[in-house]
Amino acid sequence: MKIKTTRFGTIEIKEEKIIKMPLGMLGFPDKKKFIILQHKENSPFFWYQSTDEPELAFVITNPFLFIPDYKIDLKATLKEMSWNGEGDNSYLELFIVVNIPKGMPHKMTGNFIGPVLVNSKVYEAVQIVLSNSPYTHRFPLFKKN
Amino acid sequence: MLILTRKLGEKITIGDEITVTLVEIKGTQVKLGIEAPKHIEIHRQEIYERIREENLSSSDINNSDLSKAIALYKSSGLSKGSKREKN
Repeated sequence: MKIKTTRFGTIEIKEEKIIKMPLGMLGFPDKKKFIILQHKENSPFFWYQSTDEPELAFVITNPFLFIPDYKIDLKATLKEMSWNGEGDNSYLELFIVVNIPKGMPHKMTGNFIGPVLVNSKVYEAVQIVLSNSPYTHRFPLFKKN
Repeated sequence: MLILTRKLGEKITIGDEITVTLVEIKGTQVKLGIEAPKHIEIHRQEIYERIREENLSSSDINNSDLSKAIALYKSSGLSKGSKREKN
């Protein structure tokens, strides 16, 4: 099927590859379908593109590239989503939402308290809210600055 | 805003499905127990707001800033690039 996006034009994607988010992203509860697009080859950053709204795309990345020992408890989320896969977690992918203050890419931050967990087996995802977390919502990704 | 006075252990019901219990009072802190159906999301408001704001501004990132960030990432020595094989 064809999907319209403002950043990438029209994209052809298999319908079963669309990631369903029953609860949506926080603040965007009515946008429930997304695809993951790599920004450029070998880029650590991806666009989490809404398939309902051509203009809506978040930038996400792999948290472990920036905090290698990033640890969160997925138990409650797995239960809530009914994703209990007998200890096999290989189909789960974790992302964080990132931010760039306009014109200041060196000040890029990652939100480590609202990660997005994608289940690539059933193509579903959920944004996790970490309440009692040692992490921050604006962790600088490039520490030097 | 509706304001109700409750004693320790007393409850408030909201609609048919939500119950809030005053579980503990300690100085300026109170502990609330909330029972609600699964589809109702319950969060500490400040955490919810932070995540919502980060989502909102992430959806406003422009291509040129992101391209520059990739260049920074590659020169930062954080990694040799990342692959995402499943797609």
